[in-house]
Amino acid sequence: MLRYLRVLCLRDWLLDHTVAWRQYARVRRSLPLTVTFTPLQIGLPCASFATRGDRVWSSTIRKRTFSTENESSPSTTDVAPGPAVGDRAQRSTTPSLYPGGGDKLSGSVSNSAGVVKATEETLRQMNLFTAINSALSCALESNPKVLVFGEDVAFGGVFRCTSQLQKRFGRQRVFNTPLTEQGIVGFAAGLAAMGYRPVAEIQFADYIYPAFDQIVNEIAKYRYRSGGQFNCGGVVIRAPYGAVGHGGHYHSQSPEAYFLHTAGIKVVIPRDPFTAKGLLLQSIAEDDPVIFFEPKALYRAAQAEVPLSKYVLPLGRAEIVRPGTDITLVAYGAQVRVLLEAAQVVAREDKIEAEVIDIQTILPWDEATVCESVARTGRCIVSHEAPLTGGVGAEVAARIQEECFLDLESPVMRVCGYDMPFPLVHEKNYLPSAEKVVQCIRDCLNY
Amino acid sequence: MLHKLFMYEALREAIDEEMARDKRVFVLGEDVGHYGGSYKVTKQLHTKYGDLRVLDTPIAENSFTGMAIGAAMTGLKPVVEGMNLSFLLLAFNQISNNAGMLHYTSGGNWSIPLVIRGPGGIGKQLSAEHSQRIEAYFQAVPGLKIVACSTPYNAKGLLKAAIRDNNPVLFLEHVLLYNLKQEIPKQEYVLPLDKAQVVREGSDVTIITYSRMLHHVMQAVKQLVAQGMNPEVIDLISLKPIDLETLVTSVSKTHKAIIVEECMQTGGIAAEVMAQIYSHAFDELDAPIRRLSSKDVPTPYNGYLEQACLVQPTQIVEAVKTLMST
Repeated sequence: MLRYLRVLCLRDWLLDHTVAWRQYARVRRSLPLTVTFTPLQIGLPCASFATRGDRVWSSTIRKRTFSTENESSPSTTDVAPGPAVGDRAQRSTTPSLYPGGGDKLSGSVSNSAGVVKATEETLRQMNLFTAINSALSCALESNPKVLVFGEDVAFGGVFRCTSQLQKRFGRQRVFNTPLTEQGIVGFAAGLAAMGYRPVAEIQFADYIYPAFDQIVNEIAKYRYRSGGQFNCGGVVIRAPYGAVGHGGHYHSQSPEAYFLHTAGIKVVIPRDPFTAKGLLLQSIAEDDPVIFFEPKALYRAAQAEVPLSKYVLPLGRAEIVRPGTDITLVAYGAQVRVLLEAAQVVAREDKIEAEVIDIQTILPWDEATVCESVARTGRCIVSHEAPLTGGVGAEVAARIQEECFLDLESPVMRVCGYDMPFPLVHEKNYLPSAEKVVQCIRDCLNY
Repeated sequence: MLHKLFMYEALREAIDEEMARDKRVFVLGEDVGHYGGSYKVTKQLHTKYGDLRVLDTPIAENSFTGMAIGAAMTGLKPVVEGMNLSFLLLAFNQISNNAGMLHYTSGGNWSIPLVIRGPGGIGKQLSAEHSQRIEAYFQAVPGLKIVACSTPYNAKGLLKAAIRDNNPVLFLEHVLLYNLKQEIPKQEYVLPLDKAQVVREGSDVTIITYSRMLHHVMQAVKQLVAQGMNPEVIDLISLKPIDLETLVTSVSKTHKAIIVEECMQTGGIAAEVMAQIYSHAFDELDAPIRRLSSKDVPTPYNGYLEQACLVQPTQIVEAVKTLMST
């Protein structure tokens, strides 16, 4: 598969350089939010394989706007080829990640206990992948022990997260590895044990399984079984996870649940560029090994204002993304926006005020915030893309029902992927969509 | 006609009978041939069936599991022995991405009649890497069946059923149960893979458990009965899919449930079982379901710490009493 991708990458690269003068755009039909792409955003277009079926070549930038705020139908307008993507005015036309609208950044900043004093000058509009890139470059700059490596990382990675890093920090600190996940993670474990802070990239979370033994048996247990003499603190394993529109079962899996049962590691999943940068920087600074899953569907779809400088957000803390009184909706990563969408629908149509919580860290997860919310609302739905059985939802539901049994008006319900391999053509049916969540909210309220 | 067998002998009998019955069945794994398996489950089978049907492999879990999957795709019925189930984490990719999903991703063109069996669980001072309970890691893999045996009787019947099943089955044995002795029928019998077993009928509380913890629960039940309580005990047997019907019927009768498992709590089997019971029998419950699990730590080597890590019968007695008083 990877070899196939590389052939595609090479072909794309050649194609693009022969038509470099052209405006290049893509339309991502599978995502409900606006996505506008230009060559600069994409860097090398080899990352574009994920939306291969939908790519559009045109001499103008095709801008597709689909606002979740007003539920209008998707409309496509052509705009004249303008200045490159650095232009703020252009970017400001893309809708906020938060369907609730408003300046959510300030909300995020205040929620993280004033970690950042963001001003207009120090902020930049960033995509999720540029935020990751920014975090990595901050980490490489501030700590000489930080190393970044993985398959194809040197030329920027298939999703462009490590773009330009080798150029800036050299081949000694940012480098490619052979195609061996077990080797990458084992190498990271050894480096961490010697005091480095390795950030290892697994190209897709679906490829993390060959490294399962290294993560679960070596990295997670090293501190414990050496009686505290050695540890793998400082390892961060980054991997893009989740549905992307048409990835099929080797490029769309959500394997976080497999690691939920692993004492000794932390599992983090951000929902947008702002949290991605803060949480990744904290993960690198953390003295425990961290698996950092990035929602690949949001690499380009999500935009937010992100501080240029270094800032951290605490691990193990959930964030109430939308306050409400009637029901608590719990998710993480890309699923948060699905819940926000559902929350808006029920607020408008059923006058139900749903509280949406992003747990951000899957292991250890913030039980206190979630249970406090459920005790108030009396109802709860947990949602994730991964299959239902044995998923994160099971643990969250079990814990909530242990803690809040007498507060519950109805059982904790789960809206998750089906118990099946991730389907290619039936992806839309498989995913826990906003419609499914809305239906579940109604079922829950009418229980 | 009954005969008394150790659990490892019952398992060997099952494999032996299936290999005699069906030429497609073969065994592979580390030291399964001449050495007879590290727990003697395949002892002497190689003399009877030859080195090709009882195949010694190099120490390369990912490779020989992949090999078995390939064999299964071409119509054979491999029985893979993981010398210790924790080593199968090295084969996670093969088990999850290939064994679990190939039937689906090939549009039903291939089926994977594969059994992966071996000893797991906390033994006697085997330390972190040899004491793992891998069922929770594989619980979320779609397409996989997970079965845990608890007695020589069900070990034999279930293993035969697993070998005959057309799906990949992860068959969990427990290191400390191999030397459990029981009288089992000499005649051939096969047990259903997807049914939980009501081990003891009762009316006050449902205790749900599996594998070795069943024996801890039964010890606790003795004390509870002496104190005038009447608990119902269910051996899950099938960890995936969970036999919800049996569980819900029981909980609807007792209105209280407690789950005892040997795996760690976070993301364990009990979490899923609880979530399922809550969503199907919420109104039947008089109290929150309790779960007793091992501590969320790698298993310690130190014998005392190891015991402290596990759920002990006294804890089960205490938990049931507390639950009954709520």
